[in-house]
Amino acid sequence: MTSDVRLVRWTAVGVGVALGVIIPAFLSDFLRTLAADAAIAGLIVLSLVVLTGLVGQISFCQYSFAAIGAFTVGSLVAGHHWDFWLALVVGVVFAAVVGVLVGFVALRLSGLFLAILTIGVALFFDRFVLAAGNWNSFSGGLSSWRPGRPSFFGIGLHGEYAFYLFAFGVLLAACLLVWNLRIGKTGRVLRAVRESEVAASTVGLNLTAWKLTAFGISAALAGVAGALAAVRVGSVSAGSYDFLHSISIAAIAIVFGAGSIASAPAGGIFLIFGREALIDWTSFSTQWFDLIIGAGLIFQLVYAPDGAVVDVERRIMRRLRPPVHRPPVNEQTAADEVPAKAG
Amino acid sequence: MALLELDQVSIRFGGVQALLDVSLQVREGEIVGLIGPNGAGKTTLFNCITGVLRSDTGHISYDGRDLGGVKTHRRARLGIARTFQNLQLFGRMSVLENVMVPIDAFSSRTPVGDAFRLPSARFEERKAEERARALLYFLDLLDVADLQAGDLSVGMQRRLELARALASNPRLLLLDEPAAGLDARETAALADVLFRVREQFNVTMLLVDHDMALVMRACDHIYVLDFGQIISEGPPEDVRDDPEVIQAYLGEVA
Repeated sequence: MTSDVRLVRWTAVGVGVALGVIIPAFLSDFLRTLAADAAIAGLIVLSLVVLTGLVGQISFCQYSFAAIGAFTVGSLVAGHHWDFWLALVVGVVFAAVVGVLVGFVALRLSGLFLAILTIGVALFFDRFVLAAGNWNSFSGGLSSWRPGRPSFFGIGLHGEYAFYLFAFGVLLAACLLVWNLRIGKTGRVLRAVRESEVAASTVGLNLTAWKLTAFGISAALAGVAGALAAVRVGSVSAGSYDFLHSISIAAIAIVFGAGSIASAPAGGIFLIFGREALIDWTSFSTQWFDLIIGAGLIFQLVYAPDGAVVDVERRIMRRLRPPVHRPPVNEQTAADEVPAKAG
Repeated sequence: MALLELDQVSIRFGGVQALLDVSLQVREGEIVGLIGPNGAGKTTLFNCITGVLRSDTGHISYDGRDLGGVKTHRRARLGIARTFQNLQLFGRMSVLENVMVPIDAFSSRTPVGDAFRLPSARFEERKAEERARALLYFLDLLDVADLQAGDLSVGMQRRLELARALASNPRLLLLDEPAAGLDARETAALADVLFRVREQFNVTMLLVDHDMALVMRACDHIYVLDFGQIISEGPPEDVRDDPEVIQAYLGEVA
């Protein structure tokens, strides 16, 4: 990697972080809550960057994993007076475990069949787990849980700006961790599984273990998002984790490109503020927003098959990098050199 | 004792008997050839040895150990590596990454170590990259290390498959038509590469190919497979003159 690329990348990250901290300082509290929601939605997009971007699996039940985080925090904090942080850990672990279970069922599936399976999981959560009467100690039954805002090392997160900064910080930390995963062994191995399962297993990779790892990490990230959403809103109700949300966020992850971590903040901002702008500035209802995402999906599939953010990144890279030096493409020279070097 | 031993291995796909009572032995340090017309069952045999397919009957033992019930990735850890006839590279990954993956597979690094960039993970990353680069140098691919594997020419892709197979430090290397798609000069060079691989990596090889010149030159012992059965075996010169082999390849001699 040339140093130019690195410089531009970290400058972009630095500017993005600075804007992310500064702009909401001047916004109204209402817009700050939206900004926190955008950071939370960004976490769910990030969960798909791991699952779809790395190992190539699709999921339409990310909001169900988020619901596990949210309802665990809701029931433990509001129902049993647990500390938020402890409840967060339990919720994330619970989400990861369910993620691994879903992954286990999904092991031999991909593409359309995996999509259908995950829709099934999402509907199971919607219509059964979270429905009143089935598991009230978890779902809260007909009333919704009302967990209060936690404090962060003694700093109360009651103010909307403080909470936004907290959510933004969590998103940044998660992005950094996923970035590290991606450039390390984990990312390489997961991409190898995506590229060729038969080759990956014959070089010694345990496909089962790695796919389950990806599902676990992805569900854990979504669980973190759910836990944050629970205390952001201050009430946890099943409607916020409807499976249609999962479909919208999957579409957004694909439109922006699951191959890039920058899709997480970009997708989160688009989902929350895009929908808000549509309601405020036009006479359309929110339902039209899904139509816009759908149109975006068609546009992206035709013009930027790997996603908008990935496409932009690639264009920037191409400008920065000198044209790739292509040494011996002449096969005969290459073949002649082999014995000489091999000796 | 033989490093790899197949004892009466049979497998059937629906109405097709892909392999029937195939028995063969590969002794440590040998390069053994496996030839036969298209559809004879050579790749199926490789799939059975690597555990991609399970044989219906018969036993496969490796290093004195029965491989029945041993999963594909476990067999890789025991030292069995292969290349693929229909090129199974990690196409949208760099050439360097392709060779690093087998090294990763053998390392004990966890996602936690990666996520927090623990010193041990960074150390192993450096070590893996160094070893991968050494292998790329050995197969003359170092200049293209940063290109995407899918963008290479077929000749280079075949060498990359070899580099990737060697990266897992195998004792037994299964080569599935390494000369397919290569021109005459590359094929001629390939035999030398294989000899040097055997010397430097101390690896035993089972080689499938259609290129008779290559097989005759490289192999110590040859098995001939036709319609799923071994029809001939022996040193190269014997097999070449065997009328049954000539008939299998060229049809009925008038």
